[in-house]
Order: sequence, then C-alpha cells, then structure tokens
Amino acid sequence: MTAIIEGIGLTKRFGYGDAAVVAIDSVDIRIDERELVMIMGDSGCGKTTLISLLGCILTPDAGELRIDGEEIDLTGQDLSLIRRQKIGFVFQLFHLLPYLTALENVMVAMDIAKTDKSEAEDRSIELLTRVGLSDRLHHRPAQMSGGEKQRVSFARALANRPKVIFADEPTANLDSRQSDNLMNLIQELRQEHQTTVVIVTHHEGLKENADRIVYMKDGKVITS
Amino acid sequence: MKSFFLKDMQYRRARVVLTSLGITVLISLILLLGGIMNGMRIQAQQYVKSTGADIWISAEGSGGAFIGFSLLIEENMAPLNTRRELKEGSLSPLIFAQARPIIRGKSTKAIVVGYMTDKYGGPKQVLDGEGRMFKSSEFQDYRPEDPIPLEVIVDEKMGLEIGEQITIGTEAVKVVGKTSSLMFVLDTPLIFMDVRVAQKVLLGNYPRVNMMIAKANENREPEKVAAFFDAEEKMEARTMNQTLDDIIAYYVDEPMKAVQFLRVMLWIVAGLLVGMITYVTMLEKTQEIGVLKAIGASNSYVMTHLLKQVALISVVGVTIGFCLAYVFAAAAPIFVAINLVESIIVAGISFIVCCGSGYLAARKVIMVDPLIAFRGEIDGGMFRHSPTVAYSDAS
Repeated sequence: MTAIIEGIGLTKRFGYGDAAVVAIDSVDIRIDERELVMIMGDSGCGKTTLISLLGCILTPDAGELRIDGEEIDLTGQDLSLIRRQKIGFVFQLFHLLPYLTALENVMVAMDIAKTDKSEAEDRSIELLTRVGLSDRLHHRPAQMSGGEKQRVSFARALANRPKVIFADEPTANLDSRQSDNLMNLIQELRQEHQTTVVIVTHHEGLKENADRIVYMKDGKVITS
Repeated sequence: MKSFFLKDMQYRRARVVLTSLGITVLISLILLLGGIMNGMRIQAQQYVKSTGADIWISAEGSGGAFIGFSLLIEENMAPLNTRRELKEGSLSPLIFAQARPIIRGKSTKAIVVGYMTDKYGGPKQVLDGEGRMFKSSEFQDYRPEDPIPLEVIVDEKMGLEIGEQITIGTEAVKVVGKTSSLMFVLDTPLIFMDVRVAQKVLLGNYPRVNMMIAKANENREPEKVAAFFDAEEKMEARTMNQTLDDIIAYYVDEPMKAVQFLRVMLWIVAGLLVGMITYVTMLEKTQEIGVLKAIGASNSYVMTHLLKQVALISVVGVTIGFCLAYVFAAAAPIFVAINLVESIIVAGISFIVCCGSGYLAARKVIMVDPLIAFRGEIDGGMFRHSPTVAYSDAS
C-alpha cells in the first residue's frame, strides 16, 4: 500500500514556559491510501491535535509531514492549497456557516477552489442528494438536526474531491441510530470516492468499521 | 459565490446596522462641527468684503478695526482725504458696534453699522419692494443739536416689518427698508443707519467713529498703503485681507478654540471608535475565519471576504453620515456651511480608518492556524507566545 500521509517526529506544544503542555510528543504515523483509520484514546490524549497536524490546520513545533508523496514545508508552503486540494475536514461541532444554506455551505468549499459556479452548484446538489439531503438544500444549519448538519459537513468535506477526509468525533453529537447511519454513509462514500478516512472517536462501537485503529495516550501513539 | 459576504451581512444585520449607525453619527458630528466653524468664518468675512474698502483704519493701540476699542475723531482723519495713497474721496467714517436693540419688547442681539450712503460701509440700496434707504444727515455741517432722521434699514432675515419701531439705546428708530442678509458671526444681524444716527444712539451724540475705511489709489498696492498709514502715529491701518484675518482670529478661532479642541477630540474618538467597532466585529468572526481556512480558503480569500464587508459598512455609514450632516446643517438654528472638500476628506479618512482597522483585525485572525482560530483561542496566551502562527499561508 502507498502511504498517503506520513508524519515523522511530530511534536506540538501549547502554552509557554512553565505552563507549556506537550500535546503531541514525537509521533510517527503513517496512513495508507484508502484506509479507514480510527484514532482512539482518552480525552486530552492528543487525538484532535494529531489529526489537526496531519490535516495541516495546525502547525507542528517539530517533525516532518508528507502528504500524497509531497514533503510539506511547514514554514514556507501555502498550506491552504494542500487543504483545498487534498484534505477534507469534518468537525465535531459541524462548523457550518450559519448564514448559508446547506447547498451554499457545500458550494463555498468549491468557491474557495475557484470552481465554476454552475459546476459547483450541480456537484453540491449531487453530493447533498447522495447524503440524503435533497429535500434540505435550502435549509440553514439552524433549521437542521445534528445528523443532517453532520451530513452537510461530510458533503462539504467531499466537495473538492480530497485524498483524505479527517473527521473529528463525527458521531459525538448524534444518537446511536444517527451514528450508525453516518458510519454506513462514510463507508459508502469512501468506496465511491476512493478516499482515505481518518476518524477520531471515543465511540467503541465504531471500531468494527475501521481497517486499523491507532491508540493514543499522553500525546504518544501507543498502538498502531 | 459573489454574494457570500452579503449573506453574512444580512445574517448579522443588527450588528451591521449598529456599526453603520455608529459611523454615521460620528461622521455627521465631525462634519457639523466643521460646518459651524466654517459658517462662522464665512459670516465673519461677508460684511467686510461687501463694503468694497481695502484700507481699514482704527485708533492706535486698538489692534485692528474689529479687535480692540477704537474711537477716532473724524475731523482729525479728514486730511487723509487729500493723500494720494487713497482714492480721492474714498475715505469713509464707519461705526460698527454690538448693540442690544429692543425689538417687540425683547432685547435682541444685533450689530449697528453707521455709515454714509454715498461712501463705503453699507448697502447703497434696499431689496426690491422692501422699503427705501434711510435719509442721510448733513454730515459735513453737522451740529449735535441738529435733528437727525432716526431711520434704519435691517437685515431681511430679522423678520421686521417696514414701519416697525425698534429701540436702540434710548432712541426709538424706524425700520424703513430691508437689505439682503449680511449676518455677522453666529447669525448676528446687522442694522444699518446713517453714521450720525449711530453716533446719536450709541455714542452719546459725540462726533466719533470706530474706524475709517477707504480704497487705495488704483496705482498703489493696498499692502503698501496700509503699511504706510500704520507707521503714522494715532492710527492703525490694515488691508482688507489683514482685517479679515483679524476678524477670523478674534471672532472665530479664539472663541472657538474649545470647539476646535472638541473637534480634534471627536476626530480621535471617531477614529478609535470606528476602528474598535470594526476590529471587534472582525474578531467575533474568528471561528468563521478558522472554518473557512480549514476548508481551504487562502488568506487572501478570507481577507477579501472580510474587507468587502468592512468596505460596504463604511461606505454606507459614511454616505448616510455625509447626507445627514447636510440635513442637520439645513435645519440648524445657526448658519452651518459644510465644506464639500472637507466632507470628502473626512469621508475618505473615515473609510481608510474603517478598512485599516478591519484589515488589522482580519490580519491578526488569518495569521493563526485554522484550529486556533475556530477554537476562538486567538486572544489566549497560547497564541501570543507559541509558534502556532501559520506564516506559511501567505497566499
């Protein structure tokens, strides 16, 4: 299998001086193409920080990162381009833009990537229909349930055909039925789009969906 | 999505309206204060300019025709009439004094102007259909016991009727005509009368005047003529421009120092407030900015999105403030003259301050990692000291 993401010696500290906390401590990690990897561990062990580093939404203090065979220059490279072209993010709290409809929330990701408007609209409708929200296209986040918002969030993450989707506790705010539905959807989408998926979760019941599980403790990977 | 930023503004319309309103109020206040001072300057100058005289002579030590106390004995000034520096026969006696005429039983603020109708110092005719000029006295052969026609012409904006009686000092004078408005500073109306009448009602019937005004000979420069007379004892002489400068300094700039100070303070406060409003508004969008960056938006995309909003809010606020200032100026109880160039400068500076503070706030937010931004931890110690700043998102 080819590695889609490789992190070597990734380290991240928060705070300064005596108050400094090492959130990620020299972590080496490899994610292969089309894998569904789950990162698990206790609260505060550094799971979210790790996928944030891997997904280029947080800059490490030390370490090297390679995405899709490309060495990431963490001090000089335009990371927004990497995020735009290769990465999709799904957040625990959805983080949809409250003033946009479901359709517009997906379209905005493509607007950022300078996709033609009509093409973006067609693809957004297609994605939202695929996640079962064809009847909610023009609803705003405040008019949708948690499960619906999470599905919009997935559609948005898929908008620019990323190589990897990172999902941070995607089922944390969903009931068990919604969680199961979402995991089924993720599995289907992963197959359809040939996408690598990395999920951070506490939810033991989701383990059976994973190709591989990475356990973390105190900022370190203990089992991979 | 071109309307992306508009949808955001529509969603946060209460904040947008309040921000625009804040800018509107500040802009209109700044323009109004400037307009009041500008109005005073215009009013301070219009009478002096209307006389047509370019040499203004006052008593030695008075500091200028309109500045200090000045009383001249006109007989002593008569020899100046023969001086070749002055246009022949142009030397004109003038009384210009503040008074409190009783009009319809009420003490009112006004300025009494006593002059000779065939000389410089006041209007030569009344407005069409608005009465007649006052009768002139026999000034040259005047003896204090001679009867004088107690007639005046008044500023059209005083609201007086032809034939109405007003009291100045102890004398009742009759309004015989109306003249076009030449209000002095702070809408102080002028009451014009024969110089003998002014001497009678204001100076206890003594043949004195406050100043003599004249026209420099055509082949002489007023500056040199004024300097020449100023060098002589018992008089001070100024050109019209010097007189205008004196009036503005004495009647506008000096008394309005507090207003000017207030205006400067308002500028500073306005700048800070507008800046703060914009800055805080931007910081409140931190989470949204973080999300946009996390889904791939470049710094320039986010900055453009934010600056479009700031620019639109500024334009709306500045434009309404601009219009409101003119409406308030028209409705103000005193003469307010808003200067268009100044207004454009104020509008321009306000726009730059708004956009500048918006830019600084947006820059602060977009320079951090998306995760830090959407967690809203920008103002925490974590951001200030840790190397989480994403210098790599330069695009």
